[in-house]
Amino acid sequence: MRATGKKVKQKKIKQKFSWQLMYKQRYLLLMSVPFVIWLIVFKYIPLWGWTMAFQDVKPATFALPFFERTFVGFENFKKAFTDRIFVQTMINTIGLSILGIALGTISAIVFALMLNELRYVKFKKITQTISYLPHFVSWVVIASIAKMVFNDGGMIDTLTGKSLKLMSTNSMLFWVVICIINVWKEVGWDAIVYLSAMAGIDQGLYEAAKVDGANRLQRIWHITLPGIKPTVVVLLIMGVGGALNVGMERQMLLSNAIVQDHAMVLSWFAYLRGIGNNNYGLGTAIGMFQSLVGITLLLIANKVASLLGESRLV
Amino acid sequence: MKKKKLMAMLLAVTMIAASLSACGDKPNDDTSDGSSNSTENTAGTPSGTDNEQADVPESLEEITLTFYSADGQADPWTDPVALAITAATGVKLDTSYPLSSEEEDIALMIAEGNYPDLIFAKGSAGNLIDAGALIDLTDLIEEYGPNIKKMYGEELAKLKYSADDPSIYQLSSYNVGGVTYETGGTLQLQWDLVKENDYAIPQSLEEWEKMLKDYMAAHPTTDDGYETIGLTISCSDWHWYITLANPAGFIADGAPDNGQWLIDENYNAVYKFCSENEREYFRWLSRMYDEGILDNNFATQTHEDYIAKIATGQVLSIIDSNWDYNDAITILKADGKLGKTYAELPFTMDEDIKCATLMYQGLTTGYGVGISVDCKDPVRAIKFLDYLCSDEGQVLTHWGIEGVNYEIDENGHRYRPQSEIDYNNTDTEYSKTTGVGFHTYPFPTYGDGIVDSTGSTYTTTSKDSVINNYTTEQQAGCAAWGVELLTDLYPQPSEFATPPYSAIWAYAKPSEFSEIESLLDEIAWPGLIKCITDPADNFDANYDKMISDLESVGLYDAQEMLTEIIKEKVAMVQ
Repeated sequence: MRATGKKVKQKKIKQKFSWQLMYKQRYLLLMSVPFVIWLIVFKYIPLWGWTMAFQDVKPATFALPFFERTFVGFENFKKAFTDRIFVQTMINTIGLSILGIALGTISAIVFALMLNELRYVKFKKITQTISYLPHFVSWVVIASIAKMVFNDGGMIDTLTGKSLKLMSTNSMLFWVVICIINVWKEVGWDAIVYLSAMAGIDQGLYEAAKVDGANRLQRIWHITLPGIKPTVVVLLIMGVGGALNVGMERQMLLSNAIVQDHAMVLSWFAYLRGIGNNNYGLGTAIGMFQSLVGITLLLIANKVASLLGESRLV
Repeated sequence: MKKKKLMAMLLAVTMIAASLSACGDKPNDDTSDGSSNSTENTAGTPSGTDNEQADVPESLEEITLTFYSADGQADPWTDPVALAITAATGVKLDTSYPLSSEEEDIALMIAEGNYPDLIFAKGSAGNLIDAGALIDLTDLIEEYGPNIKKMYGEELAKLKYSADDPSIYQLSSYNVGGVTYETGGTLQLQWDLVKENDYAIPQSLEEWEKMLKDYMAAHPTTDDGYETIGLTISCSDWHWYITLANPAGFIADGAPDNGQWLIDENYNAVYKFCSENEREYFRWLSRMYDEGILDNNFATQTHEDYIAKIATGQVLSIIDSNWDYNDAITILKADGKLGKTYAELPFTMDEDIKCATLMYQGLTTGYGVGISVDCKDPVRAIKFLDYLCSDEGQVLTHWGIEGVNYEIDENGHRYRPQSEIDYNNTDTEYSKTTGVGFHTYPFPTYGDGIVDSTGSTYTTTSKDSVINNYTTEQQAGCAAWGVELLTDLYPQPSEFATPPYSAIWAYAKPSEFSEIESLLDEIAWPGLIKCITDPADNFDANYDKMISDLESVGLYDAQEMLTEIIKEKVAMVQ
């Protein structure tokens, strides 16, 4: 309830644009200038490179000035969309994202709840530190550890005494394996945000609930979870916006020839066809497509969130 | 208090970092311009050019050339041989090398338009040429490269890029002519297994299979308790080209190494997995997988797993190239398990098919050192390369320094003292410290067995040196087979005609062709593994599916394109 109250207040404060206001806030505006310049230089000027998506850019023509390259219209896009593995790549990217967001969010919330309920502070802190350590370890290391565990004849196969073929079944099973590895790597880190959201919940509510006779689970269900709902929604919106940006190195490092069909994602595809085959125009087209779909998804998720009566991100 | 602690920690971190970096790079105190072997330094840094006088071509004024070597390693240019090269040419090399793959580095260089002076790009050379990054060496060789011309002789024409563009962009990084004294062959069988079969060499897949099955039944585990594996393959990354794709062509078609292609006598190129023989070979592999002879974990194992398995001695046979599994052999030798090292055999799946391992395919072109458009002084660069091709340069890089690394006997022949050979065999850093053999590859070199004017060979490898290096197992093998050299078991080079085109795998191919080729490989790699790992009943369906997938991405176009390229090359040489 507090959150919505704050929002109403904010709306009241919102002022209309005027020169007078700008003058009043001149120092603030001045301070923001470097960051605006940074944003333009590093985020908007490079967008000029998108023009390559409409040109034939190969090593031989790369060094040519912009106007001397051949314009091919939407040829690169056509080539990307009709590629033999494009459809499967899209399915993989979206499937992996949804699975990853679902598993990642649930596990992080559950983990944060468990930590939050711990009363022994020292243990809690140590657990937290250990759990987010893998976040800082490179995928190269994580992947080689994961392969020792999941590969054919690896740790799990040896422990169960069966040939589970976790990494050599060309099916969605590979998505699950990848997402589990990802959860192991990121759960501690993701839980930090939820933990801080939980720390912001008024302790008085818990005491009141206790007096009313609510047990631990009831307190979690009725106080903690609603308390972190806005955070969850914001993170979900961001997650959906980045749904197509499934990291390439993770996929490359964990995959092998057999599961190739279910490991290929859009960013890897762009790399393979763009840098790998030295067809920069094609690579740019795929990357551009990825960004545009990403923005659309973000806007949709934002709209849905506002329809659900939650705070919007943008 | 806290501040002090923080300072102390910072200090500790810096000191650790400093000591670590000191371990990594050997101190470079004798380099005048302080250039280090940093990998970022691929750009043509203009260091040392300031005081250079272009109008004095004979000047030996010191110049540092940046060199990107796709197969390179850290080279501080401080070993005696390097210093001798600098003394003779005035050139110092600042070598950078890829941390992952050269493809990425080269793509990046092209994207930035920023090239080192000398480039050895391996398979990415075609892209560099397309991007106009390499200069034509023809005139430079004509004017400044007498030794290069002498070394290549008639084969110089093979270095020309294409009929439309007869420029020479790169020298070759492989030997010119020569004899093969050592080879990995097409099949490697453990000596223990060979001995148990009274040194019989398998002549067909069935014989090989029977040997494996009998041995595995008799020895289900090794002495150390490891489960015996009949055959294993490394195919989780690019190694699939070496241990899955290459042996198929060698064993099933008796083909020389032309990468993924089979070339007939009319220069028609065929993507090799379309060959009927290879289909039968893969069918056999698929059955071996089902029967548990072929390692059931082969598909997901990393190359490190593969080497580790071989190093335990549990793998009875492999189908690999010797440079690829040497690490494991070193461990086996160190553990004294000589019986678990491999007999390297000429094996084909039919007696009528001749093993082409020893065939001289002519000069390998396409992989080699080129001079970039950004080179600060191409003349000095070509002179440097010419020096390396000269008799003096060849002896220096291969043999080292007279009186230190080699001596001259009463007949005027070079020989290495026993102490030097022992030093070489026992110290893994030998090459790096002394510089002997450290600066040969990827520069042009004469083949083994070719002699200079003094009657000594250019390289240190000779028949005697190879025989002296044989292990007891190899000596016993030679005795049992009644041969002097193990390579005598193979069909000899004289039985084959040298084709007028170079080995296809190293060709710098145009990017339109490479694009299709990479698509074909992208399909064949998982396709073949699926054919093997699926039950043998599905084999034909899977194989047909793979072929039709290949056809859908332009198999026939690629075959035609390659045929054209080869015909053009042949026409150019003749």
